[in-house]
Amino acid sequence: MAALLSLLPQRRCLCTKSHKKWSVKQVTKTNFEESLSEIKTHIAHSDFIAVSLQRTGSVSAPWHRFLPFDTSHTAYAKAKRAAERFQLLQFAVCPFSIRDSKLLAHPYNFHLFPRDELKIGMPSYSFSCQTSYLTSMAREGFDFNACIYDGISYLSRAQESAAILQMRNPIPITHVVKSSSTPSVADSVFIERIKSRVKYWRNACKDSSGNRDEPLLSSLRKLVLGTEEYGSRPCMNIDVCSERQVQLVLEMLEEFSDDLVPLIIPAKGGATQAVRVILTSSKEDKVLLQNELQNLQEEQTKKVRGFREVIDLISASHRPVVSHNSLNDFTFIHSKFLTPLPPNVDEFMCSLHLVFPHILDVQQLMKEIGPLRKVTNIPTAISYLKDHFFAPIDMETLHQDTANDGKIHGHNVLRIAHLFAKLCSILQIAPTESGNKSLVPALEEYANILNPCSMSPQESTDGDISIWTNNTRKVSCEHLVFLWGFKRTMTAGILKSLLQGSHDVFSEEFDVRLVDKSCAIVVFWKPGLSKTFLNVMNSKEICGSLRELVSEGLRAACYATYKRVCSLGIWEADLAESLEKALEEPDCLRKTDSGTNPLEVYWFSDLVINLDEL
Amino acid sequence: MNAHHRATRRALSRALSRALARPFSTSSPKPSGAAFPLKHVTKSNFEPALAELRQHLRAADFVAIDLEMSGVTSAPWRESLEFDRSDVRYLKVKDSAEKFAVLQFGVCPFRWDPSTHSFVAHPHNFYVFPRQELPVDGPSYEFLCQTTSIDFLARYQFDFNACIYEGISYLSRQQEHEALRRLNGAYEDTLSDTRCNLKEVRDVRLDRMADILFTERIKNRFSEWRDGLLRDRIGGFQLQWNSNDSKQQFQTIFFKMRPAISLTGFTSHQFKLIQWVINKHFEDLTYVHVTGENFCSQQLVVYTESKDDIDLLMKEVKDEHRRGAEMKIQSAIGFRQVIDLLSSEQKLIVGHNCFLDIAHVYSKFLGPLPLTGEEFVSSINKYFPHIVDTKLLLNANYVLQQRMNKSSTSLSSAFARLCSQIAFGSESKGLAFLQPVQVEVQVDDIRTSNWNSGAKHEAGYDAFMTGCIFAQACSHLGIDFKLHLPSENLAHNEKLYKQINHLYLSWTNGDIIDLSTGKIEEPLGTKYPKKQYSKILFENIILIWGFPSKLKAQEIRQCISKVFSPTSVTSVYHLDESAVFVQFSKAGFVSDFLVLKETLERSDGPISVLHPLAKLLEGRGGWY
Repeated sequence: MAALLSLLPQRRCLCTKSHKKWSVKQVTKTNFEESLSEIKTHIAHSDFIAVSLQRTGSVSAPWHRFLPFDTSHTAYAKAKRAAERFQLLQFAVCPFSIRDSKLLAHPYNFHLFPRDELKIGMPSYSFSCQTSYLTSMAREGFDFNACIYDGISYLSRAQESAAILQMRNPIPITHVVKSSSTPSVADSVFIERIKSRVKYWRNACKDSSGNRDEPLLSSLRKLVLGTEEYGSRPCMNIDVCSERQVQLVLEMLEEFSDDLVPLIIPAKGGATQAVRVILTSSKEDKVLLQNELQNLQEEQTKKVRGFREVIDLISASHRPVVSHNSLNDFTFIHSKFLTPLPPNVDEFMCSLHLVFPHILDVQQLMKEIGPLRKVTNIPTAISYLKDHFFAPIDMETLHQDTANDGKIHGHNVLRIAHLFAKLCSILQIAPTESGNKSLVPALEEYANILNPCSMSPQESTDGDISIWTNNTRKVSCEHLVFLWGFKRTMTAGILKSLLQGSHDVFSEEFDVRLVDKSCAIVVFWKPGLSKTFLNVMNSKEICGSLRELVSEGLRAACYATYKRVCSLGIWEADLAESLEKALEEPDCLRKTDSGTNPLEVYWFSDLVINLDEL
Repeated sequence: MNAHHRATRRALSRALSRALARPFSTSSPKPSGAAFPLKHVTKSNFEPALAELRQHLRAADFVAIDLEMSGVTSAPWRESLEFDRSDVRYLKVKDSAEKFAVLQFGVCPFRWDPSTHSFVAHPHNFYVFPRQELPVDGPSYEFLCQTTSIDFLARYQFDFNACIYEGISYLSRQQEHEALRRLNGAYEDTLSDTRCNLKEVRDVRLDRMADILFTERIKNRFSEWRDGLLRDRIGGFQLQWNSNDSKQQFQTIFFKMRPAISLTGFTSHQFKLIQWVINKHFEDLTYVHVTGENFCSQQLVVYTESKDDIDLLMKEVKDEHRRGAEMKIQSAIGFRQVIDLLSSEQKLIVGHNCFLDIAHVYSKFLGPLPLTGEEFVSSINKYFPHIVDTKLLLNANYVLQQRMNKSSTSLSSAFARLCSQIAFGSESKGLAFLQPVQVEVQVDDIRTSNWNSGAKHEAGYDAFMTGCIFAQACSHLGIDFKLHLPSENLAHNEKLYKQINHLYLSWTNGDIIDLSTGKIEEPLGTKYPKKQYSKILFENIILIWGFPSKLKAQEIRQCISKVFSPTSVTSVYHLDESAVFVQFSKAGFVSDFLVLKETLERSDGPISVLHPLAKLLEGRGGWY
């Protein structure tokens, strides 16, 4: 155990006073039921919910990462690709509250596997794995067998509705809304016919319940009446041809509501095939049956939803959700548990907002503390804060550390909660107001900023960014040009010196950085030169050493081409290859592309590029 | 390190408990055979297992193989469909082999032992995992998992931990070639600019007091040492460091026959400073960075006698770097050594419905799959000249079909049917009108004639079953192993000749591909049970997509029949919710349909909206 602890330096730094070990409750299929009711109460009593996800992969090539020159559109396209491609194996949820300097946390780590429990080809036909991800999970001692054998399955909201149609289970009707339209002649004829049939059947059933027929007679009777059995109770099916008839039948059955219970039998493709009527022996029996049906349905939905129950609980609680890599996390959550991801970021944000009204990314808070701006690793951030600020946070988890089996998964979620509490304390934000469960105004300005490349709100207003980011300069996307088609061993320095003498445009100030081995980005600090350069690249008048470079294969494209690469989803391993392909795409696509929303202008002018990060 | 050990232990204990649990969980009739586990091979025992396998392969008469994959089809429509032409079928197999990973590879050499009149089988179960061992700047290694396949493996207690923690990685021939090429390129680059490499650290800025003091101390240390060396040459001066601490940080050793100091316990910044000091102040000292045999890196300062000596030293260091890198590449080849063995021994390879398996072998261990089936076939034939498929063997031969008594030719049912004496450990079962072939199993030093590990769907056991079926099938075909000489290659046996190198391109429609000629044949005669529908004429087929998803096949048929004639549509086949194949009775209808579609789409007037095809033509169409 001692050796194990040394594996976890972050654990030690979390423990401020006592030597208590933080334990995260591990949840699999076997203990999901009990954990669900437990977490429900914890969520109800907490102020925030931290989440942390373990995926099977993230980026397939270096340029697929979020890069400093990504706009919210391109960043979303990248996150969308990963979310649709990879799978979640663990989902850690930690409802927590902060009281003064005390952090009360209830961490859970759910093991997931997209098993097709209902044999309907859902939730996931196939998914991708990155071997480096699996290997590093193995290094942390992840138990793949436990995950695959006992992981909890789930269906997204969209999949649930599809599954219900597909399973065609009878749906109980508890409440009939009277239709406003007056019945036509045909309707009346239909109603009368069904009514007499139901009456006759009902009476016949009631009569026969007293005397015992011999088997032959009773089966004959069944044949004539069209009666069947639902459990121990008699029932009959009324075939319908339209939804109008369903309505009519249900309205008619209201008359017999003392002892008849209707069920709707769905047809393939969502319509109704028949209405099933069940005869109960008394009012009490009717209540009994209705409860039975209700339980049955709940059981069914539980089975269908699986882990998504937890997502629904979080959503219904309206608690702010704290995450560390929110764009990645919430694209995954949206695509696995809500509906397939919409094509663009604005629709995504709208759709997400309806389900999770407050999302807080700790990285947005970290941007307030200069040196943490570039830190993406949580333990590093915590230890930095520990060294530079006095903000002791006392952590208390309410789970007993029962298992000494070295399970260390899902601790990240505790670190996120811890980091959040520390940041609030340092930034002097009181995370909650007494008696008020909604988000405090001080936090509101950080909420729902998912783009990892966007600036914090203050920064964009006062424009004073030179204090700690002396290498950051605002640049419009228009001034960026992508270059490729040079030797793979080229460095940015050599490329810059090659360009310097090649043409007049390079006599003004410009910078070159490599995006990956195949492609570089050039920033023209003087407006208009990028356009001139692109024109020169395409003209016949090209001359001198630039001509030489172009004949050796050098190519250039504007930022819009990069945008198209992302929106068309051309995810080649080399950015150069993708840009090349985007240029080959027919022009008709370009037309629709240029007609995108006016936001683009805003993003264009507001883009910040930190060349040092490349 | 700790986590790693724990994982190994866990994986091992799981394997052990599984091996113990298996015999009790197998369904009746209870195997009476000995139940010792399969030979599992992982990273940790790969080298000795390979050496052993090499011996067995050399002596073998044939080798059975079987693969467990992370999935088969990446989307429902990529499953093998009846409507697929053979070239499309190959492309689907190609897609599958490229996307999914091999998780287990079973190899089971069979050798005829004349002294006991039985075969000796050596089942090996290799755990394979495509771990990225070499740092490459290409895309990261990625593979697809089909959820149902993974779940299926889980139901048979597949040990995913053993696979991911301990699986053997590999490089294909093409990857190895690529890595060596890159290494050579890098080597030549560095050779040409050795000198500028040395000067790279010239621009160290000494603006911190600590740095200045540190460099000063280093400078003194090294001049002391160098002077000591020079004195040493004259007198017998033994170098003394002042403190114990220094002794640990600066250790005098010999490097390539030259006196050197090995540096330990510094930060990377300090190493940079030391390098700078050496380059700036000492003409006869050289700073080198070497990677030791166990891949730990070492920082050295070496004494050199002249400028030429420096060049010589640098060359030696570079060569060593290169050797080290080559060794790394060599060791990254990993599991492919088994495939190379299979290829070089040219033994008869036996698989069960193994076209996809062979495609996986090609794409994982040779190189990217060729674009066409013909190219694939000709190049696979070079590496594996003799392949036989037991599923095809069972279906192609009348005697065997009778013996199978129309039961399914799936691996396990064929095994139960043909090799009941092995499957159930009893000889009384079935109508044994021919002598059952005896198979003894040897795992490490344990040998038994009555083995049943019961580990169904472990690649090693499946390979064993495949081999047993093959041996029994040969016997039924009249091959007498007692008369069979060890020098004779089974692949050339005239009784088998017709079936060698014939594989099912797809089981769905029974198309057979001949690996030696590249020809694709129709299933043989009427024996093929599934070939009941009318012949598919690909030129009569159109593909329609983009229609409303609730449109049913029947409605589509009606739509089209209204326009052309009631008999115009032969069949409508749903690929998935989004697309259908429509087969017309005449090829002429295809072009008519496409022309009509285009005119309707061009005019937006009321005619196009009211046209019967309007319902369908919210979407698009294309020919096959």
